[in-house]
Amino acid sequence: MLVAWKYKERNTIIQRLDPRARWIFLLSLTFSIVQFWDIRFLLFFFVISFGHYFLCRLTWKETRRIWTFVLTLVVVIIGINAVLTGRGGPGEVLKGPKHILWQVEWVVPWVGWTISPNITVEKIVFAITQMVRMLSITVLFIPLAYTFNPNQYGVTFRGLGLPDKVAVSMDLAFRFVPTLARDFSITLDSQRARGYEVERLEGGLIAQIRKMAPLVVPVTINAIVGGEDIVNAMDLRCFGLRKRTWIHKLEYRPRDYVLIGLSVLILAGSTFANLGLGLGNFWMPGWALRLFGF
Amino acid sequence: MFDQQDTAAPLVIEGLTFRYHTRPKAALRDVSLTLERGELLLVAGASGCGKTTLIRCINGLIPRTYRGDLEGRILLYGQDASGMTMARLSQTVGTVLQDPERQILGSFVLNEVAFGLENLGLPREEIIQRVDETLDYLGISHLRDRETFYLSGGEKQKVALAGVLVMHPSILLLDEPLASLDPASAQEALALFRRLADEGVSIILVEHRVEDALSIHPDRVLFMQEGRTTYYGPPDDLAEVVDYREVKMPAHIVIRRAASDPPPSFVPLIKPDGREPLVTFENVSFAYEEDGPIVIRDVNLTIHRGDVIALLGPNGAGKTTLVKHAIGLLKPRQGRVLVGGHDTREMSVAQIAHTLGYVFQSPSHMLFAPTVREELAFGPKNLGYAEEAITEGVNRAVEIVNLRGLEEYPPLALSFGQQKRVSIAAILAMRSKILVMDEPTAGQDYWNYMAFMDSILQMPGFEAILFITHDLDLAICYASRVILMHEGRIAGDGPPTEVLTDLELLRHCHIVPTSLLQANLKYLPRTGRFMRAEALAHVPVA
Repeated sequence: MLVAWKYKERNTIIQRLDPRARWIFLLSLTFSIVQFWDIRFLLFFFVISFGHYFLCRLTWKETRRIWTFVLTLVVVIIGINAVLTGRGGPGEVLKGPKHILWQVEWVVPWVGWTISPNITVEKIVFAITQMVRMLSITVLFIPLAYTFNPNQYGVTFRGLGLPDKVAVSMDLAFRFVPTLARDFSITLDSQRARGYEVERLEGGLIAQIRKMAPLVVPVTINAIVGGEDIVNAMDLRCFGLRKRTWIHKLEYRPRDYVLIGLSVLILAGSTFANLGLGLGNFWMPGWALRLFGF
Repeated sequence: MFDQQDTAAPLVIEGLTFRYHTRPKAALRDVSLTLERGELLLVAGASGCGKTTLIRCINGLIPRTYRGDLEGRILLYGQDASGMTMARLSQTVGTVLQDPERQILGSFVLNEVAFGLENLGLPREEIIQRVDETLDYLGISHLRDRETFYLSGGEKQKVALAGVLVMHPSILLLDEPLASLDPASAQEALALFRRLADEGVSIILVEHRVEDALSIHPDRVLFMQEGRTTYYGPPDDLAEVVDYREVKMPAHIVIRRAASDPPPSFVPLIKPDGREPLVTFENVSFAYEEDGPIVIRDVNLTIHRGDVIALLGPNGAGKTTLVKHAIGLLKPRQGRVLVGGHDTREMSVAQIAHTLGYVFQSPSHMLFAPTVREELAFGPKNLGYAEEAITEGVNRAVEIVNLRGLEEYPPLALSFGQQKRVSIAAILAMRSKILVMDEPTAGQDYWNYMAFMDSILQMPGFEAILFITHDLDLAICYASRVILMHEGRIAGDGPPTEVLTDLELLRHCHIVPTSLLQANLKYLPRTGRFMRAEALAHVPVA
């Protein structure tokens, strides 16, 4: 059985909006953000993202875990990777003029490859830009699980123009993640009761992966079996017979049109600025160089 | 839709034989039956007898989802069903699966019940009206706007049924619908099935709780063994045909028939003795979330050496939550739990697992190994036992749960009943001193579970056993102590002859007296203790 995300009614402006308008807003903003590498533009979106986040009125307690996850991902993986390699962005970060802060050459033992993760001012600025960019997108979507009424999952996607079958699948898929989390915790408990200690994984990588089998196998098998059950249960209730009715009805109100208009404006403006005016490429502020004494 | 609806029988099956492509032997052999309008047909038999396969053949999942060789004919109102699409079939034949969790798709009750009608493309107003009517009919209108995930087992079962009934099927297939229900909910569900049949719905009820199903007077019974029909006729003569050791029959029938057989020779090895405390709950209260609803309230309880405890109570009473504290998977919000004198807060689950073995309700969440033998060795290996001790423990566990010959099979390929026995054996192999089992008999045949319960109680090495169950008769046959839970509190605790004779208390805890309890109450002045029906048959007449 699928589990829904922890949704609750909060009586906020965001939750009073039509979920279709909200999706249009989120997608427009996402497609706008990905067009920019210029931190000046990105900060504009960053402010909108956080403004939206605070309007959702989520508490720190309920979002603590997701924030830990997101910050680890953005800072440790994306941030550090960007500082070390400069990859993952536009070419000019690596190609343009370099102001090297710290140079090191390291030869990998046995294989003899040379790695030179030179830290440049450009890479640092790029890392910050990249983190702002990623955070702006992530922060837009964090509230979704908490504020998107599970009752309206399917009808929202249908209302956005997806076919019946895809909309129902999206409804089910949206609930797959919390279901997996629930199954995982039941399996973890069952195996702990058999003396299994996930904290005590020892040995090399392969050995460690093998020792994860008691957790991974039951969860995977359950997911597959659960998928078959869902297909059978849908068949037994005439799914896919003809065009279906959706009992929940969504209706746009004036405020939804305002939001959609705004979204379209932002996306069109961004696209024009980027493609039409050629703005938004990686920007290297002069004061950043001066800050490091160049 | 069906032209001959008025004249032809709703369902006729002629010479049905089916073999799954994945299995060597046929699951159904030459089964024939006729289901009349408004008839309630009980299909009974041990697990693996072909009951579920029969249901799948009728509702179209065979051959559409499950592949195999199908012979014979299925006629719906005189028309061959093999040419119909699933969707068309499903408008006439409604199916309620064994586990409502596997059937519920919607996140809210309203969405769930409406799902089928939405697929039929009916107008929105009509759907809502029919959903409300159906919820009202089943007496669950108050659940309409609830999230399905948070419903109790009994409520889920009713919601799943509502999702099918709302489509107005004229044939209803019910596959072990009582499996996840507490006795009171099961009685309610059965009464409902009778009412539906009386109103003209033709029902096939697959159930191995034969005793319970007989209480609503099915019109006919089909009894199956290894895919064949061994009895098909009125319920009254069933008792003469089936073995009372294989299928659970009403106590008075067992007593009558067992009188001519030798008396059972069951003597439990584990006996109450020095009253040494093994597990102690001190003022334990618990809620899953800090400011969430309280699930366990102020429980004080001591499990002594020699106790065989049956923990009874309705769905959602907090039974599982309580016993999860004993192995340290949950820690109390207030109070403390001591295992062997140590606070569970200061021990890891693995440490507690040395003394306390815990069998989870669902086997599918724990089985992972490529063979049954490796699966059973997993626990003892984690606990660091020596090789010979592991082999010995595994062999004995295999013996007790009747899995001999399946040691090299992958557990994930076994039937549900067998998987459940593997999950019990996996804990038995750890040779813990205290054994805790959550619903050990769920999904098991009567014969199988009685056999392994007998063996477990005769197995040396246990100092205490606790099992959670909905089956009052299991408590009567095995427990030396009964604990009743109701709404997170302990409502009754004592020897079975004390707790289970308080019928008012049982009613308060939604427990329905069984025929075995009634027989025992009658015999109690002569026996002085509770016993199984076979033993009652040999009590001398006063």
